[in-house]
Amino acid sequence: MLSDYNFIGIFVVVALIFPFIALGLAYLLRPKKPNPVKTETYECGLETIGETWVRFRAQYYIYALVFVVFDIEAAFLFPWAVAYDQVGLWALAEAFLFLGILTVGLVYAWRKGALRWQ
Amino acid sequence: MDISRELRERFGPAIVAEQETRDGIPTLWVAQDRFRQVLAYLKSGTDRPYAMLYDLTAIDERARTQRKGQPAADFTVVYHLLSFTRNHDVRVKVALAGAYPVTASITDLWPAANWYEREVWDMFGITFEGHPHLARILMPSTWEGHPLRKEHPARGTEMGPFRLPVEKQEREEEALLFHPEEWGLERHGEDTDFVFLNLGPQHPGTHGLLRIVLQLDGEVILDAVPDIGYHHRGAEKMAERQTWHTFIPYTDRIDYLGGVLNNLPYVLAVETLAGIEVPDRVKVIRVMMAELFRIASHLVWYGTFAQDVGQLTPVFLMFTDRERLFDIVEAITGGRMHPSWFRIGGVAQDLPRGWDGLVRDFLDYLPPRLKEYDKLVMGNPIFKARTQGIGAYTLEEAVEWGVTGPGLRACGLEWDFRKKRPYSGYEGFEFEVPTAQRGDCYDRAVVRVEEMRQSLRIIEQCLDNMPAGQYKADHPLTTPPRKERTMHDIETLIAHFLGVSWGPVIPAGEAFFGIEASKGNTGYYLISDGGIHAYRARIRAPSFPHIQMVPEISRGLMVPDLIAILGSVDFVLADVDR
Amino acid sequence: MDWVADFWIPLIKAVVVVLVLLLGGAYMTWGERKICARFQVRYGPNRAGPFGILQPLADAVKAIFKEEIVPNHVDKIIYVMAPGISFAAVLITFAVIPFGPEVDLFGQRVGLWVGDIEVGLLFLLAIAALGSYGIVLGGWSSNNKYSLLGALRAAAQMISYELILGISLLAVVLLAGSLNLREIVDFQGTWPLLVLQPLGFLIFLIAILAESNRSPFDLPETENELVSGFMTEYGGIKFALYFIAEYTAMVVNSAIVVTIFLGGWKWPALISDLHPLAGVGLFLAKVLFVLFLYVWIRASIPRVRFDKFMRFSWKFMLPLAFVNLLATAAVVAFL
Repeated sequence: MLSDYNFIGIFVVVALIFPFIALGLAYLLRPKKPNPVKTETYECGLETIGETWVRFRAQYYIYALVFVVFDIEAAFLFPWAVAYDQVGLWALAEAFLFLGILTVGLVYAWRKGALRWQ
Repeated sequence: MDISRELRERFGPAIVAEQETRDGIPTLWVAQDRFRQVLAYLKSGTDRPYAMLYDLTAIDERARTQRKGQPAADFTVVYHLLSFTRNHDVRVKVALAGAYPVTASITDLWPAANWYEREVWDMFGITFEGHPHLARILMPSTWEGHPLRKEHPARGTEMGPFRLPVEKQEREEEALLFHPEEWGLERHGEDTDFVFLNLGPQHPGTHGLLRIVLQLDGEVILDAVPDIGYHHRGAEKMAERQTWHTFIPYTDRIDYLGGVLNNLPYVLAVETLAGIEVPDRVKVIRVMMAELFRIASHLVWYGTFAQDVGQLTPVFLMFTDRERLFDIVEAITGGRMHPSWFRIGGVAQDLPRGWDGLVRDFLDYLPPRLKEYDKLVMGNPIFKARTQGIGAYTLEEAVEWGVTGPGLRACGLEWDFRKKRPYSGYEGFEFEVPTAQRGDCYDRAVVRVEEMRQSLRIIEQCLDNMPAGQYKADHPLTTPPRKERTMHDIETLIAHFLGVSWGPVIPAGEAFFGIEASKGNTGYYLISDGGIHAYRARIRAPSFPHIQMVPEISRGLMVPDLIAILGSVDFVLADVDR
Repeated sequence: MDWVADFWIPLIKAVVVVLVLLLGGAYMTWGERKICARFQVRYGPNRAGPFGILQPLADAVKAIFKEEIVPNHVDKIIYVMAPGISFAAVLITFAVIPFGPEVDLFGQRVGLWVGDIEVGLLFLLAIAALGSYGIVLGGWSSNNKYSLLGALRAAAQMISYELILGISLLAVVLLAGSLNLREIVDFQGTWPLLVLQPLGFLIFLIAILAESNRSPFDLPETENELVSGFMTEYGGIKFALYFIAEYTAMVVNSAIVVTIFLGGWKWPALISDLHPLAGVGLFLAKVLFVLFLYVWIRASIPRVRFDKFMRFSWKFMLPLAFVNLLATAAVVAFL
């Protein structure tokens, strides 16, 4: 089984090489004639107004926070699901409890208006 | 009570004169110091008010010779108002003196006056005091002179060759930069920075060369500033140089999806000036062609609107249908998108043999397709979620901003010029005027889809009741006269020769004619000085006020909604810029 | 160390799998254009070779020979790396997917998978999530406002589907009792999990559509809103990498759907005694079917708005996935 990780390792190396081959090949073959107009930022044919990297509002950032919490909690459920057969009814009760807490969390976030755009 | 009497009684000497026009619209000259009161009274003082600022334009009077009974003026500003309750128009003219006159703005009375006044400033150099941002609108900000003034060159050869050295290019680019401060827009919010984004002119979602500068907070639109004029070709100036007859092809290219729907108001206005009465057959042929083009235009809108909300397939299906329709147009006119087929006093040729079969086939073909599109597009839950409640305006707002056509009917007002002021024989047809209530993107779509069905009904009636008779009026100003007769009688031959080589001479006068085009009310306000070309031709295009309104209905929404709104408004940039 | 079994065979397998995936991705572009065209009363590509079969090749040649413009003001290193990240992440995802049983090939006993690991499903979820990094980084590094909006949408989209993707799979794990994908396939010897988990399948399908950035969830790209979204500043081979990554991702994601819900290389209901290579053919056929679904959906329905998608997945799909999980757990416990 452990050797399977090696196989995956080999596969990862091969997979990583391919984009390099593509980029390298194109680098060798493509023409290179940049000029100031070509290298301008595209914004529908006009010069851009002000900076792009600004303090940008991501309206969904509370979603993102809730997401981090939930994603980790969901990760806890995977071992539970795998071992479910062995632990039986007790596991079901536990899961209900755990998911119950999760649900309360979701409902709380929902009621607090976290799942809303601001 | 008659509106001109009412105004005379109320404002007395402020009403300087009343002018006779060929179209019968009361035209009142009002003193420059009182015209704002008169307009305010017309808008809200009188019972059954003139609520819509239908058009606002100007005339350079300095070269005009035939002004009998009109007060002296170097420039005239013309306010054209429309009353829905009276089903009546009134025209208010204000005489201005001086080379670069100054007058008062009415943007506080009608927000829609904003762009119109900018256009007048851009084209004539008339300054409007009290205007919030009197900047050029159609011409580039670097332009010198005001094109519609009589002294401004009308063609490239009068201006010297065009050159674009690097410095000029840089200057032009610099001039296109948007400065938020000039428009009173903040660059920073409380805890975020706003992003200013050029949406267009090279953008796949704007259906042409339209630029909208967006002030974004995240992806929410705080404000939008449309920048138009990229498609400006100076059609109104061209009309002053082309003969009455040779201007017809230019009209096709105003709303370039509407084909003969553009010819119609123009020839109707010229016929009003010339006093031509056309035979019944001409009327019915014109109605049939106009309705075919309404369907063609709506099919393009339907497909591109679906495309705008991300549905890929409908546009191909609908363009295929449109091709079938163009096959009919081609068989009848020889042209497809821009047939330029209507003539002063008639149409270019009689209908060809076998036209009825083609039309009949299409009448059988389209209804099942439309039914399928109802399921594919209008019934799709995602489509509904993307369009319902988006970009809604109330009837009051629509009237305030000069919205006409399907956009107005989507707010619940059953207002269609074909019903309210039948022209070209529409009074003889049975059809319904579809309306909807909420005025959002979806409702505008509902109205247009139903309009296609009504157009089919009208076309069917044309097909069943096509009158026999001539395809051109028997009138000396009919241009060109009927070909069969030019070969046999000398008067017609002379008329033909003059009409083609010199151009028909249309008697002096003024006439406006507005019709229900596919995008809204298209109207031509023509002034003849008794010559072979228009002294002034004003094109009242529906898309212009519609685009002006877009920021109003997109604030607080997101970029995808803006694209949906643009799709639902159904504008053509050539119609906006002319 | 047994060099043949531990190095050469896996290497050959890796190269073959990568090449097949690339070819699959490339031909997916052709297939989509062809099928979409049929939906739209068109022919689609038909110039390069019979039925336009050489079109992907022509596109590749064009992309390689095309001048690449690196705009000023971009964050150069990230800008160049980002398409590679997307591309590699897609390929690596496939490492744990079994596409056939063990077979005898050239005198060797070969399992038709790259790596058969215990936590295959977790590996899958982890690597698949990396793909959106390529998009977010590419969009951000371009220093273009359209790209930035696209990147932000990609991030928004990720936090919308990632969770329901995981939770809808929990029910599968619970039934199969394993995170190993080969065992999950074996579990579906008689009936594919689609039959046991219809709701889970639907939830998963929607999530995986979003994961692939495919219509109706092609929000980071949305050509008629954001011009080209995160790819706006990309051209030439870098654009091609993004492009092929998207289509290869479709292939890989279809393979995931087939493996987890449609029984992998297994025949439904007991017709199992066939040549093992026929299993590979079946696997392929199922993948093609799911790919067709992708194109069908794209040709048919409009695009959702991304805040609405977010609301939909958090307020509707997530609770639904929870309910599905608990119901499955209850059924398993009491039966």
